[in-house]
Amino acid sequence: MLLQLNNIFKWVQSGGQRIFLLKDINFEVEEGEFISVMGPSGSGKSTLLNVIGMLDDFNEGEYSFLDEPVHQLKEKHRANLYKQYIGFVFQAYHLIDELTVYENLEMPLLYKKISGSERKAMVADMLDRFNIVGKKDLFPTQLSGGQQQLVGVARALISKPKLILADEPTGNLNSKQGEEIMDLFKQLNEEGVTIIQVTHSEKNAEYGERIIHLLDGRKVGG
Amino acid sequence: MLLKFAVRNILKRPFLNLVKVVGLSLGLIGVLFISLFLKNEMSYDGFHKKADHIFRLTTTNPEMLDNNHFARIYNSEQVPDLVNQIPEIEKFVRLAPIRGGLVLHGEQYYSITEAFSCDNTFFEIFDAELLRGDRSSVLTNPGTMVVSESFARKVFGNSNPIDQIISLPAGQFNSEKADFTIIGVMRDFPQNSHFHPDFIISPGKDKIEGWAYTYLLLGQNANVPIITSSLSQLMTERSGNEADSKETKAYLQNIKEIHLSSHLLREIELNGNMANIYALSIAALILLFISISNYASLNLAMAGFFKKFIALNQVLGSSKLVNLKYFMIESLVVVLLAIAIMAVLVGKINDIILDYYQIDLLLGNEMFALGIVLVFGFMAVISGLQPAIKNRIGQFKLGRSLREKGNTNSHKRILIAQYSLTMILLMVVIIISRQTEFALDHSMDSEDKNIICIESVHSDIQKEFKVFKSELLKQNAIVSVSAMLDPPGGETHDMFSFEMEGRPNDKENTKSIGVFPCDYSLANLFELTFLSGVNFSEKNTDNDGAGEYIINETALHYLGFHNPNEVVDKEFKIVSPVEGVDLPDGKIIGVVKDFHLSGVQTKVEPLVMFKREDSWLPNIVVSYRPQMERIALDDIQKIWSGLFPKYPLSYEHVNTMYRKVYKTELLQAKLLTLFTMISLFICSMGLLGISLLIAQRKVKEISIRKVNGAKISQIIVMLNKDFLKWVAIAFLFATPVAYYAMYMWLQGFAYKINLSWWVFALAGGITLLITLMTVSWQSWKAATANPSDALRID
Repeated sequence: MLLQLNNIFKWVQSGGQRIFLLKDINFEVEEGEFISVMGPSGSGKSTLLNVIGMLDDFNEGEYSFLDEPVHQLKEKHRANLYKQYIGFVFQAYHLIDELTVYENLEMPLLYKKISGSERKAMVADMLDRFNIVGKKDLFPTQLSGGQQQLVGVARALISKPKLILADEPTGNLNSKQGEEIMDLFKQLNEEGVTIIQVTHSEKNAEYGERIIHLLDGRKVGG
Repeated sequence: MLLKFAVRNILKRPFLNLVKVVGLSLGLIGVLFISLFLKNEMSYDGFHKKADHIFRLTTTNPEMLDNNHFARIYNSEQVPDLVNQIPEIEKFVRLAPIRGGLVLHGEQYYSITEAFSCDNTFFEIFDAELLRGDRSSVLTNPGTMVVSESFARKVFGNSNPIDQIISLPAGQFNSEKADFTIIGVMRDFPQNSHFHPDFIISPGKDKIEGWAYTYLLLGQNANVPIITSSLSQLMTERSGNEADSKETKAYLQNIKEIHLSSHLLREIELNGNMANIYALSIAALILLFISISNYASLNLAMAGFFKKFIALNQVLGSSKLVNLKYFMIESLVVVLLAIAIMAVLVGKINDIILDYYQIDLLLGNEMFALGIVLVFGFMAVISGLQPAIKNRIGQFKLGRSLREKGNTNSHKRILIAQYSLTMILLMVVIIISRQTEFALDHSMDSEDKNIICIESVHSDIQKEFKVFKSELLKQNAIVSVSAMLDPPGGETHDMFSFEMEGRPNDKENTKSIGVFPCDYSLANLFELTFLSGVNFSEKNTDNDGAGEYIINETALHYLGFHNPNEVVDKEFKIVSPVEGVDLPDGKIIGVVKDFHLSGVQTKVEPLVMFKREDSWLPNIVVSYRPQMERIALDDIQKIWSGLFPKYPLSYEHVNTMYRKVYKTELLQAKLLTLFTMISLFICSMGLLGISLLIAQRKVKEISIRKVNGAKISQIIVMLNKDFLKWVAIAFLFATPVAYYAMYMWLQGFAYKINLSWWVFALAGGITLLITLMTVSWQSWKAATANPSDALRID
């Protein structure tokens, strides 16, 4: 089992009232799964993803990742955990505009104890695999949206994570580019990477083996 | 990679980063040069190895010289005996100034600015480097002379000065010509010495008497207060006063303190001023604060640009140290750029200062300068880390980052502080400038600046003054020629006893009054205003009983009168203290309005003017038609060379002489103006940056308001309102501080301007105007942008 959420609650205080973002969420993810999270705007999809990715805290409940109790871990330990095992892909790509494709890919490796030559090899490997060797010296603004997202996925993969969290990865792409990215996810999943994606699109959700529906912070199916 | 990222980021926003770099480098240049200047001012006379033990002896005595405190002592002949009685005093040297301003070599006269007749211990006490001659024996024989390198070059060019003869000519100060043989050449005294002799002579044992600057070398463990009191005691005993009469007081001042803290009468040279040091230190601190805080606040405001980078770093698992490291690197790049700009300019600025003031501030101070640059750089880099240290952005979340509201609180505070300081500087500058203007307006040549003064002429020339004057008056360009005892801008210190009829009883104990011998045309030349009576008759000799005396307004009150008409035609007589000089009995014939011979720092002394011929008139003043200056000066030179071929002519505009009196104030005004401009510039640049960022942050708000029908003017008002508020708050802080500081500063003047409210209003107004212009540039751009562009981006 990769991760397990038990009775997760998350709320914010607003005007003396608790507004629940997540309400009593329970689910398990096995290694190698491909899960889609669906729901209308404001239903808590992104929040759930951030909780799983350990970027956001939650107020109540238990979360274990690879049998480690995340809610009890110290910040540093937790950071080590997601640094090692989790990669993120964003709707708006979130590439750094001032860095080249090559440098954007290299960025996550800088925070790990990896030697320069090894880093070079890993980046070269990624560039090769995604067929973007010719674009390594370009800046993100010189790429199309699809290409930027390709770099985004490559960056998420470069540190060989077990789990990829994707927040509407095709939201800013046209349908053809979107399809390419989804095919890529499919392929990665077949290679053994666990993927959890948030999406609005029924069609993209179909790529997953399992769909979790959220409504007002509550799990309503799947 | 962080370095690359930093460089690309800096290049991406060239304007904002240029503002940072220029602000820092201007601040650094200002702070560096102020520090160097201050160090130079503090280093005076420290080059003497024994400086800590060299003390200057001065005295006051209520019975002598009106208890005035002079930088030299009048009874220097008793110094050797005094020193013998106090074992803690190891050595002494007396420097008796050589007066007359002229020396003779062969047939040619040369002017000198400063020279002394001194004891042969000169080189044992002072560290003057001898280029030629033997240090231990050089002044032992009477009739020998050591010249400075530059004086030797002036007189002898490149030829060997050793064994040449230089004479002090006969005249007013020497009864007969005296010859001296040059046996040594010393290097010029460094610029940071409080005296710079052209030469020193050895007059022989016991030849030094009367006025002399006296320096004592004390033993290692000497107790200064005890020595001072024993000196007081010994000198009181010697003065022969009764035990119950008032005492002579002795003062010892360390040689290193003379330049900044000594403002006695007749200093060797014009000394520096602690007030200037304070003013400059404060200016440096303000500049430091403004430039660094400007940098910090811009950095803080621009931190928003890095939200994504920082949030991503977090997602990708960096530690917070990476953010710190990034800001450190960016800060370093900016600071290094600023230092590079400074390094390019520093040499040029130093050359300019060297040209104007003959001070090489950098020479020998390289390490000090480097230290200042490092400290400044360090402070700047640290202040650039603000965004990382404050850790506010450490909590940026990716999803939320775009919604994050910018916090302008910290720039608000910094801006208010910056503006308060700048406004204080501005107010101070306006007031100092107005006071100096006021002072110069009250000098004796305030109108046309068309009077020159030939200072301290030789007594031979004084005898020929009549001829010189009549020759000059034949020239078309010359308006008037006169002469006087004390030069414009100088002090009147001679007081003679007088007798007068019909004085009110309560004033009978005043027995002496300041005297001012002059040529009869003086009142005309300087356009003095008569309150009553008439001017001198047009001749310089009067029969006994018909002597003419003119007093000033202060003297009128001093003598016990109120109405200027009362005193006219009263009998008056001056008792000449000099044997062989008799002044005719006579009457007071007129009262003139007070005129400021000295600076407006001091109160005008009661003065009586009377006419002299042939002597006591060492300062010749000539006024000419303002538009004919060139011709007038040529005429003066021609006539002078014809009449006195042996004497060099040196003259100065009276206006310039007064500017020298107000040198400190003028320098303060000039430097502070410069620093105020720099501060204003940095502030405006910083403000421009902040307003740009605020406008950017409000792009959406502006667009929405416009879509809903706001006019451009309304948008501009909305954007400018806050800045106006901040300037207003800054004004409230600045005014009382500036008022108090300037009130204290003006206490140093006997005659001063009023601190009128409009000065403060003006400073506030100027700042407000500059602020509005700066901010409106951005506001206009933001307000006129097409709203649909902005809304589409979102």
